[in-house]
Amino acid sequence: MAIPPEPIQELIDASTDIVDAEVAEVVSTGTKPAQPDVPTGTTSAGFKAAEQVVVLKVARALKGGAKGNLTVHKPVSGYALKAGNKGAFFLRAGQPHAEILGRYGPDTYRVESVEHVLGKK
Amino acid sequence: MVTIRDTQLRATYTSFETRLRTEPGLTINADNMPKLLAAVADTWYSGADRKLRELTAPGVTRQKQVDIVKNGMGAQEKKDLGQILDKGSVPMTDEVRRFLEQVLDRQPVTPNDGKLHITGNQAGGQVTGTGAPGVTVEAINLSTAPEARLHQDDTFVLGKVGTDGKFSGKVPDAKEGDVIRMRTRDAQGNTSDWVTVRATGLAATDTRNSQLALFRVGLAMDGGKVAITNINSSRPISEPGAQVQVVNKRTGEKTNITMDEAGTFPKDLKVNGKDGDQFTVAVSDGKNNTNFATVAGTLTVGGTGGGTGGTGGPDIKDPALHKDELNADGTPRFALKRFTGPLFKDGVDASDVKQGQIGDCYFPSAMAAIAKAQPDAIQKAITDNGDGTYTVTFKEVDYRGNVKNKEVTVDGDLYVRSWGGPLYGSAGGDTSPEKMELWFPLIEKAYAAYKGSFNSIGNGGSSSDVFQTILGKPRYDVNTQWESADKVWSTIKKSVDAKLPVSAGTHGEDQSALYTNTGVYADHSYSVLGYKEENGTKFVQMRNPWGESEPWPGDGKNDGIFFIKLDDFMKLYDNVMTVR
Repeated sequence: MAIPPEPIQELIDASTDIVDAEVAEVVSTGTKPAQPDVPTGTTSAGFKAAEQVVVLKVARALKGGAKGNLTVHKPVSGYALKAGNKGAFFLRAGQPHAEILGRYGPDTYRVESVEHVLGKK
Repeated sequence: MVTIRDTQLRATYTSFETRLRTEPGLTINADNMPKLLAAVADTWYSGADRKLRELTAPGVTRQKQVDIVKNGMGAQEKKDLGQILDKGSVPMTDEVRRFLEQVLDRQPVTPNDGKLHITGNQAGGQVTGTGAPGVTVEAINLSTAPEARLHQDDTFVLGKVGTDGKFSGKVPDAKEGDVIRMRTRDAQGNTSDWVTVRATGLAATDTRNSQLALFRVGLAMDGGKVAITNINSSRPISEPGAQVQVVNKRTGEKTNITMDEAGTFPKDLKVNGKDGDQFTVAVSDGKNNTNFATVAGTLTVGGTGGGTGGTGGPDIKDPALHKDELNADGTPRFALKRFTGPLFKDGVDASDVKQGQIGDCYFPSAMAAIAKAQPDAIQKAITDNGDGTYTVTFKEVDYRGNVKNKEVTVDGDLYVRSWGGPLYGSAGGDTSPEKMELWFPLIEKAYAAYKGSFNSIGNGGSSSDVFQTILGKPRYDVNTQWESADKVWSTIKKSVDAKLPVSAGTHGEDQSALYTNTGVYADHSYSVLGYKEENGTKFVQMRNPWGESEPWPGDGKNDGIFFIKLDDFMKLYDNVMTVR
């Protein structure tokens, strides 16, 4: 459902780590959730992509000290990930994997925007 | 002056006193404490040397040490140890003092059990303690979390437990009486239970009163009473244990509320009052600063009925919130505010439209497309009645194409976020209640009222329906999967040239990550503002109704407007919608 992203400050506050990273590998993909039954041409209907577990190759940490490769969980959401996708990933520590926050994953906010709010630019 | 009767203990303690004369900085600390303990723990059959070895054996826990001492301690030794603790001239560290108090049953045991334990006070903001070697200790100052807009678990790293099981770290800006909450996190990310302390040793008195996140306090009518809620339950209202006092300005009735462990209101909290009542809100920490002299602010009871948004003009029943913005019991999580800005500023433009936190992208994308193609139609669709109300005229088209007007009148009350900005649709630019350009948010509100509620319009829809409802013209849709690129291009070109509104919707994400990193979003509707051809390449000009977010790098404006190649458009967009 294409609602604007959550306010950036809320995401930053909610994240234990924020990394500029690239998806190195999709480890697993869950079952595709049931999709809304809507007339053709409907938008904001709430179509969802399945949850995934992916490995992120961290280029640099924007918040927190994460580095190297991180195995993280993408919840059921309106976007999907594939190897090579990159950007700012908002992460919240959890078990068994940290969870990717932000309605649109790495497309929620650009790295530059995050850095600007964090005062790193 | 202490009088020690046990021979072994007297000899040991006297040796400390003697050393103190030549070593002014001497203290009884964790390193030399076992010697003193051994003198307490010894028995006729097991001497102090043997006890010292038992007390300092590798892996011995704090509980075990306490047991060793207690098992060997006679009544006289207990009395002697109490004198040393209370009147002894040799200084001892807080950790030793705490341990001796545990031996004497004055304090519960803090075992070396791998769990997080805090030792001593927090002088200088320094927190010390013990835990499992290698784990990270995280902390949050709950006394400053409300104004810092922190979640209840937005911790910072206080330190790491060393191989000796000890850690130390500083809490920035800590003050006497602050509530500091800590936990450990291991390498796998597992976290421990919270441990909470009220900081001591920083100053003689606790001068910091509790903070209050007034902007998170929600007041709404519920069953004839005023329900008081935290509109963002993942964040605190104040610190745990704080007292919040609300006073009904109409009746003078005062209610004191104690914040729970999460720093928020207890469940099902209700006070006496009625719609429109104003409440002053004050806070104290319930411990050292107990007066409510400083009022944090005044809140007005909100709700979903009319008359809740503010002053000026008639009140008209407002469409209910989307279900995502309601509490489990159906009460609203957002209040209304009266907006009094101009209906139009410098005419009508697509940039006047900005989608809010609701899944109705088809509506703002359609309205921005109409604003671009036929701005006069917008000005005809909404009328300022001059009394704080506005009438929007929608078109109902029957199957024969007959058009009937349907008028919906709304007032200027809009649902607002905790910081005062509109929750749903807004205008670009100034969004203050006094200055925001109102035509788009009010037409959206009237559309919600027309359809039943914001929930009725906020779960997806079609721009074609909006074109028809505003313009009274029959819809015309082209599906990119079934039609050629030439047909799609000619439809866009003809419609734009004829000043007809055009929008385009994207597919839902199908797991192939088609949209990720493209700058175009799945399951979303965009306005089509124009087209161009450059060196034989066709481009379509799009606008994201968010008023921002577009393919990178764009033109640097990040206003949501961008050109996309027709080939890419055919891949990413599912349909083109316009009217005949």
